[in-house]
Amino acid sequence: MIEDDDRIRLALTLALEDEGYTVRAAATAEEGLLGQRREPADIVLVDLMLPGIDGFQCIRELRRTDDVPVVVISARDDTHDIVAALEAGADDYLVKPVATKELSARLRALQRRARPPAQTAQPDELALGDLAVRPLAGEVLLRGEQLTLTRTEFRLLCELAEHAGQVLSRQQLLQRVWEYDFGDERLVDVHVGRLRQKIEDNPGTPQRLVTVRGLGYKMPR
Amino acid sequence: MRKPGLRARVTAGFAVGALLVSAAMALLSYQLTERYLLDERERTARRTVLADAEIVRAGLNVDDPDELQVLRSLDTGANRRALLQHGGVTYSRTVDSGLARNLPDSLVALVARGEAGVQRVRIGDRAAMVFGVPLGESTALYEVDYLHELDRSLKVLALVLTLVAAGTAGAGALLGVYAGRRVLRPLTTVADAARDIADGRLSARLDPETEPDLARLATSFNRMVDQLSARMDRDRRFAADVSHELRSPLQTLSSAASVLQRRSAQFDERTAVAARLLVEEVDRFQELVTDLLELARSDQPADLAAVDVAALARQVCRTRGLPADLVVVARGADRFWQVDRRRIEQVLANLLDNAQAHGGGAVAVRVARLRGVHVLEVDDEGPGVSPADRDAIFDRFVRGRSAGARGDSEGTGLGLALVAQHVAAHGGTVHVLDRPGGGARFRVELPREDT
Repeated sequence: MIEDDDRIRLALTLALEDEGYTVRAAATAEEGLLGQRREPADIVLVDLMLPGIDGFQCIRELRRTDDVPVVVISARDDTHDIVAALEAGADDYLVKPVATKELSARLRALQRRARPPAQTAQPDELALGDLAVRPLAGEVLLRGEQLTLTRTEFRLLCELAEHAGQVLSRQQLLQRVWEYDFGDERLVDVHVGRLRQKIEDNPGTPQRLVTVRGLGYKMPR
Repeated sequence: MRKPGLRARVTAGFAVGALLVSAAMALLSYQLTERYLLDERERTARRTVLADAEIVRAGLNVDDPDELQVLRSLDTGANRRALLQHGGVTYSRTVDSGLARNLPDSLVALVARGEAGVQRVRIGDRAAMVFGVPLGESTALYEVDYLHELDRSLKVLALVLTLVAAGTAGAGALLGVYAGRRVLRPLTTVADAARDIADGRLSARLDPETEPDLARLATSFNRMVDQLSARMDRDRRFAADVSHELRSPLQTLSSAASVLQRRSAQFDERTAVAARLLVEEVDRFQELVTDLLELARSDQPADLAAVDVAALARQVCRTRGLPADLVVVARGADRFWQVDRRRIEQVLANLLDNAQAHGGGAVAVRVARLRGVHVLEVDDEGPGVSPADRDAIFDRFVRGRSAGARGDSEGTGLGLALVAQHVAAHGGTVHVLDRPGGGARFRVELPREDT
């Protein structure tokens, strides 16, 4: 957990430890990034307003080498901040104050996402033209070359590839990928955007992952 | 009655002005022409009459004159008639002796005094000039000069002048339309800029250079917008600061409260009560702050997207532990509404919470279309809302006085104010009605996108 406010850091640590988590806390992004390199955590919680390297920069730094799930916990509830943090690579965004129950539920969902999908009837490989998705191996190949996706991006891609030719609404994707009954559709939009950066030849005019206006997203067969 | 527009008034002003000027000019030119023509005619006729008088005088200056012969010797043409009074008898060349009765009395009296004169008269429907010349004792020559040709000319002139006046008035009106449009064009720019600003594009400014006459307006307008936008910036920064400064300690409180709550079984009785109070109040305070911050962002426009409102309503019900079949979709209701999902979610949640707190729980959520608008209704079977309170309950910090209310600890008093605000952001309305069979019915009406 990277949080510069001493009291919040302490209170959140106590609350999360009560929920059964082991928490390592850092007061600055520098300290947190160093800690993550030395001893990688399963999930990173990060505040946005930090002294020195700020939260956005911190997420980008993490993402350069790591696909660890990143959750932003910030007092800023501006759309710009939310979208910027998600675009930097965060998997989820929570606005303070976050109730312990809610935080815990979201962390559990993230952990489930980090494991391979639970369905037993998973095919070994889903082929969509020159794009090959291997849900069990956790691999994506574009023209034979392996792509680096975060776990959320990977789950999103698996969900869309499994239902290729079918439109999935943002709410359906939130339920299946994030396991939210209910949530912020910007999460989906930003993650689709990031996924396109990696799988599309020209992300401005997507061919593999298209938007169906008013309905949602789909990957054409 | 509505006051006519500036453009209509400018047009009418130009038309009336043109009509007045052209009518006055027409009248004046008619009268000048008429007087000139009549004077000219009179001068010519007078010369002829005096010459005739000499001939008659010479013709009568014989013994036993033949008056008719004398009259016949006059060259009177088609328009003139001559009358000769001599020795109490009136002679006329033609058989229209009625002419004698038409001689104006004042002229006859003048001639009787020995003076020559002229007078204009109407004989029947014809205008005429009557000349009278005394020729001695009980002898006088009268000549009647009919003016019908002149009359016709003047009538044509009057017609032409009337047409010209009407044409000028029409041209004036056209000029007025043009001038009105011309004058109002810079104001259209001002109106456009004002609309831009109302729509939230605060960068809109007027260029004082383009319209020198409106430079003052443009300058004041720009200054007003500058101040407005500076003030809004300040407000926004302040709201963001307040938001941050309130949310941060609330995070500490919330997390610490959850730690206390988890251990409440280990506390002695007094500590447990205190901890419970603390946890409850932290929760309530948190809701209050969240609602207040939401209210403070009232100026933000709705972020519209296609939303399946019935599905949204079912989800909101589920997250509140209510059965999803509470949601009834009426026949004809649209599936997708163009609304701000987050805000409509909050509207539904707050109405359900309100029904829970004051109406014994919601008994139906209806999604419908009524008279071309989207309708969302939440029914409860509580005591209803008295007509006097129906507007007031949407004000801030008004809590229900109804029997169903569970004391002051329930709610923040901002729930319905937020509902009203979110609905207003969509250009809709919210009312409380009586539910048939008892209870309250909260009805939200939102405009449909294609109407």
